[in-house]
Amino acid sequence: MQFVSFSFLLLLPIVAIINFYIPDKFRYIWLLVISAFFYLSVDLKAAAVMAGTVVVTYAAGLLIDRKSGFSKAVFIAAVIMEAVAMFVFRSGRILGAVGISFYMLKSIGYLIDVYKGEIQAEKNFLKLALFVSFFTQVISGPIERAGNMLPQFEKPATVDFDRFRDGFLQILWGYFLKLVLADRLAIFVNTVYPKAGSTPGTVVAIATLFYSFEIYCDFAGYSAIAIGVSQILGIDVMKNFDCPYLSGSIAEFWRRWHISLSTWLRDYVYIPLGGNRKGLVRKYINILIVFAVSGIWHGSALTFLVWGLLHALYQIVGVLTMPIRDRIVAVLKINREGISHRTIKGILTFLLVNLAWIFFRSSTLEQALEIIKKSFQFTPWVFTDSTLKNYGLSELNLNALICGLILLGIVDVLTYNGFEIRKLILKQGFWYRWAIMIAAIVAILVFGIWGAGYNASSFIYQQF
Amino acid sequence: MKIRLSSILKTLAFICVAGICVVGTMIVLRSKESEYKYADFFDMAGKDQIEVMFIGSSHVINAMNPAVLFGEYGITSYNMGGHGSVMQATYWEMMEALQYCTPKCVVVDTYLMQKDYQYLDEMYEDSSDEERASSVAQLHLNMDCWPLNKLKIQAINDLIRDEEIRKQFYEPFYVYHNRWDTLDSNDYKAVWGDGDRNTLFGAEMRYGMELAPGIYPDPPEGEGLGGDTVGERYLRRIIEECQKRDIKVIVTFLTCSASTDDKRAVNSASAICDEYGVSLVNMQEMGVVNLYTELNDTGHMNAMGSVKATKCIGEALLEEAEFTDHRGDENYSYWQDRADEFHDIIYDMALESDSIYQQLNYLCGAENVSSIIYINDGSQAFGDTQMQRVLHEFTVTPKIFHTDGPYILINDIASGNVYEASGKETLDGVTTSLGTVHYEPVEHLFRVFYTDEDPDTNLLYDDSKYEYDIQIITYDSESGEVLSHNYYKSYGSNYTKG
Repeated sequence: MQFVSFSFLLLLPIVAIINFYIPDKFRYIWLLVISAFFYLSVDLKAAAVMAGTVVVTYAAGLLIDRKSGFSKAVFIAAVIMEAVAMFVFRSGRILGAVGISFYMLKSIGYLIDVYKGEIQAEKNFLKLALFVSFFTQVISGPIERAGNMLPQFEKPATVDFDRFRDGFLQILWGYFLKLVLADRLAIFVNTVYPKAGSTPGTVVAIATLFYSFEIYCDFAGYSAIAIGVSQILGIDVMKNFDCPYLSGSIAEFWRRWHISLSTWLRDYVYIPLGGNRKGLVRKYINILIVFAVSGIWHGSALTFLVWGLLHALYQIVGVLTMPIRDRIVAVLKINREGISHRTIKGILTFLLVNLAWIFFRSSTLEQALEIIKKSFQFTPWVFTDSTLKNYGLSELNLNALICGLILLGIVDVLTYNGFEIRKLILKQGFWYRWAIMIAAIVAILVFGIWGAGYNASSFIYQQF
Repeated sequence: MKIRLSSILKTLAFICVAGICVVGTMIVLRSKESEYKYADFFDMAGKDQIEVMFIGSSHVINAMNPAVLFGEYGITSYNMGGHGSVMQATYWEMMEALQYCTPKCVVVDTYLMQKDYQYLDEMYEDSSDEERASSVAQLHLNMDCWPLNKLKIQAINDLIRDEEIRKQFYEPFYVYHNRWDTLDSNDYKAVWGDGDRNTLFGAEMRYGMELAPGIYPDPPEGEGLGGDTVGERYLRRIIEECQKRDIKVIVTFLTCSASTDDKRAVNSASAICDEYGVSLVNMQEMGVVNLYTELNDTGHMNAMGSVKATKCIGEALLEEAEFTDHRGDENYSYWQDRADEFHDIIYDMALESDSIYQQLNYLCGAENVSSIIYINDGSQAFGDTQMQRVLHEFTVTPKIFHTDGPYILINDIASGNVYEASGKETLDGVTTSLGTVHYEPVEHLFRVFYTDEDPDTNLLYDDSKYEYDIQIITYDSESGEVLSHNYYKSYGSNYTKG
């Protein structure tokens, strides 16, 4: 069962209504039952891996929490075991396990928190099992922290009408991003990338630009649905995206992109390695390690490692060139807060991120290099000679896509500047609210890429 | 935990409004092909005005014309044929239709009966993806109009194996939601229930002409398909179902460029008909339709072939069951109007058509349009076998096959006479609705054609059109009024209109 499946849409209201009527203290049991059903429906064989992870995490947590002489050994053994299991089962050579990269990081994070004494080990096996397998996060995150989730299982938030509406709007926005934008962008990208060598350069560059938005809409869409569904069920899940493409630097980008992973890597890798406390050289090495780990976590292909290291390089170069940049700003009396300066920084950051995505999307380094080379072949006539219509999307579909991207841009700019769109909508009179919600439902149904004639694509991050 | 009543009511109201908007969207977006074809079926079945049902493939769609059947015999019928409809799809189509009406007779065509596969989305092992996709797409025409119920689910499960593909038949929005970029005015009209509808009661006429139909060898006498192919099994089911409901059955094989396999299927159909005591109308054998002039393509009849085939079936129906002639009955005026409309279409095409072949074809079958056809000597039409065949349809003499022109043919409907002259032959004082006609070839670019009533008008000569080697004049069979005068120039077997 996928978030983008008819069966999920049928199941969700039933789950929400039953959840609504179950007393708070037993709700986690219901959520665990649904999570088990959800995971079994997605990946029956891999349920054994999930069950093993829950048992190991639960037992190790309790043993570590005893603070005996074996705690450290148990902690190290459990973390190594889970990390190895993650890489083994993710590869699919023995058995592929959907979502393993996500729920293993949650489990490892939990063990580290228990070991560091930041939380107590969970004694209720079912609650821990729910934490590891919570169905809204199990496929593609967000990679939540036990400290945030376990107390909510103990005492979930009251689901009132406002919370329900807010969650519903989140879900709608998630489906819009996924079905209307990401999957439409995917059609263009998937048509261009395999034959980039014989495609006009500007079209290849557009495909890369589209891929940047595809992966954002795909992953942010999934996260929005996961957060919205959790909200309806009385569970608050951390934000995973915060207008990343409006970032003014690569460091800021990583504070806004896949926040749950970035903060996980910061808290459980970067800081334990010494962070920026042990001198500049160690800091650079730590940055390289963190982004190498991030790259490897995304996939075993060399392209992912290059993608991670490229981001590390961006950050290191950013730090190294900071004095020069500061000097230039001072000499030229540039207003750092001025809109033009921020815009230029934003565009440069986006271009750097965009360049790195080429490695992320390509299957080999050779393909990535070919696409980069091809992208510099300037063929602007493709905008006027109807060439763009030859890559899977008709003119009307391209127009719909551009309208959707403009809407995404407006929403992100408003959010970046502190406006909470959902709150703004919910403040309106009911006719207005209804009109927006119904228009969104109809737009998703009509313009969404789903149903026969399309292979509804899985969420990109599901593979990691 | 408490929830306010107002919140529940608001949620329910929201669901209702959203539901109405979604349903409206679904109506606009759904493909209109199926409802276009069957809109009149539901109306007429509701009035219990369907006496005959034609079922089968696209051969039926193009050959059986209910408007003609009503015009000629006063029998009401509906054409339920489906494009690419194999026998099992035809069976389920009939079952769906029988929920709404019980006709006196079902006419089932056996084309495609040799197809020996059960599932339309699988077909044969070596079928291409395009063939499978096309087979599934074609089923929509016959299935989309029926509401989802137990029977439809049964039908879909019997015809389609893939669960994912079945969904698009349970709820067609699953496949049609992406039609938003092709919507036209008719799609929006459907919301108010006044979208376009097929005015030929499910039939579709084609107006071309197949110039080179293939002729294939006959199988050994009596050799059929084997007796237990999927197609044969479903033909039996159709007959059994009809007989169970006391509905007469006529099995047909409609004229086409039949392959050896098609002919085997006819042999099997014949054996099954004998088994159940059912009539078989094998038009291929009966020579009802001219293979060379009345096919639109190798498989399908054109409109003139359809008129003849429908008349042939009309005769068979009268032999099979008792029918009341509804012509003139006020309650059946809708049928008469549609019959008249079709008649007008044929009339118009006899006067003006896209191609000379078409025009000659309609003139040959026209009931109230007389014609004069003149071909000058040296015209390349005399080397065009197809043209000779079409002209030969007007007459019984072989004159057209043995002349280099000039050649003239007058088809005078009112008198029932056909006059011909070739070479230096003349026509002197022949009686037509136009008047008493005199024709005489004088020289290559000049000939005389006039009537006693208007001796000053030479109908077959115009200075400005002298380079055209073919002329077709049409005139009203009663009043003699000239209706049209067309000029053509021949280039091999290509003709340009002047």
